[in-house]
Amino acid sequence: MDASQLLKGVLDVAVLAVVRQADGYGYDVVRRLRTAGLEGVGDASVYGTLRRLYQAGALTSYVVPSDEGPHRKYYAINDRGRSVLEDSGKTWRTFVDAVDGLLDGAPA
Amino acid sequence: MTAPIAPGTQEARDYLADVEHELADLPADERAALLEDLEQHLAALAEEGDDCPLVIRLGSPAAYAEELRAAAGLPAQGGARPAPRRDELRRLLAQVEAHPLTGEVRRLWAELRPAWWVLRGYLLIALPSALAGQWDFPVPAALGSHVLGLLLVVGAIAGSVVLGRRQLTPSATRLLTVGGAVLALLSFLVAVGGTQSSTYVDYATPVVYDQAVGDFPLVSRYGPVTDVLPYAADGTPLQGVLLYDQDGRPLQVGVQEWWADGCSRVLRQPLAADGVPVPHAFPQTYVLDPTGGGLEDPALCDLVTDRPEVSLPVFPSAAATGTPAVPTSAVPTSAVPTSAVPAPAPTSALPTGAVPTPAPAPATPTGAAGN
Repeated sequence: MDASQLLKGVLDVAVLAVVRQADGYGYDVVRRLRTAGLEGVGDASVYGTLRRLYQAGALTSYVVPSDEGPHRKYYAINDRGRSVLEDSGKTWRTFVDAVDGLLDGAPA
Repeated sequence: MTAPIAPGTQEARDYLADVEHELADLPADERAALLEDLEQHLAALAEEGDDCPLVIRLGSPAAYAEELRAAAGLPAQGGARPAPRRDELRRLLAQVEAHPLTGEVRRLWAELRPAWWVLRGYLLIALPSALAGQWDFPVPAALGSHVLGLLLVVGAIAGSVVLGRRQLTPSATRLLTVGGAVLALLSFLVAVGGTQSSTYVDYATPVVYDQAVGDFPLVSRYGPVTDVLPYAADGTPLQGVLLYDQDGRPLQVGVQEWWADGCSRVLRQPLAADGVPVPHAFPQTYVLDPTGGGLEDPALCDLVTDRPEVSLPVFPSAAATGTPAVPTSAVPTSAVPTSAVPAPAPTSALPTGAVPTPAPAPATPTGAAGN
């Protein structure tokens, strides 16, 4: 199965979950997602998702000056983001359970 | 909209500029925010010290921009522009849909569906038979047997109608539609091909005059030639002139079947000494049909068919050119030839323009193209 198609659907949840663990700037989030096992995630997808979640009010951002290169825009989760993540997490688990059930019951 | 601090390398600057170009249609603040993110992104990549080129690492600028737009929930590039055209198309479709004629066509189509079921059942058997060369209308002789063909046709039609009446799954319906379309198309092609291959034995020949065949061995651009009217250069109508083609073969023309006065005539070719008719003595000699085969009263028939008026060219006097071009032997009598050997053709010394163009006169035969 093409994991990139699945990723599109769950990237919001994954990004919110990563940022909930700790605030992060764009590329930091990309790396942490990959470290977590989502290797196929695209840089642009993560940046775009962060941007959209920020505009939707699920994330806040603040700027941290950097010694070398441009400053870094960090993202942090807020209450709204946590609520979105909770709802999305429930949906995800229900979905996974359903698919798991199908896969387990496949021989019958 | 350029970033306050440009990324380090030329490669990064180029990449940024290319992505900026791809995002050109977005609102300025949106684009600025995305580019600022990208700028930081590129800086972060530069810090990694990876030698991998950006287009490998991130994909092409266009792909990056597209992915960014999709993830950020922004319209794809140019996505906003085709929308009005789509709306236009949808409105047009709605208009067609709403037109009373569309409903009529749809009703007619629904009424004709059973006919199509029958036809496709028939074609299912008839087409393979036709392809196998066992076509025989209306019952295809499947494997050489009309009885088998009839049974198969009845069976196929029954099956086809049953299929048509049954509610099928969408995929089965699609399969059936495609199969039916292929069947219809192939049948059409076979029908067209079969018609073309059979025309040359049936009806087309008398109508197509671009080839001299059958009853009309000589054809001009005006149709079949049924006679040749020779004249001497001084305008004297010639009789009994023997004509041959470029290879010395006697010139043959078709038979004149229809005449201006409606009477029927028969060809009376001059006979050689051995009693064999000489067909290439011109002009051709026709006499009224002695059996009276014509519908007209023989009294009304023209006893003599006049030559049509022709426009003859005027040549310089023979004395001036000094050539013996004017044939003196061309007496207007029925000079029956005693031998088929062509005499020195007087036409060979004439200018090429000497062949007069016959102008149709009222008494002219109307030509044989009527059949």
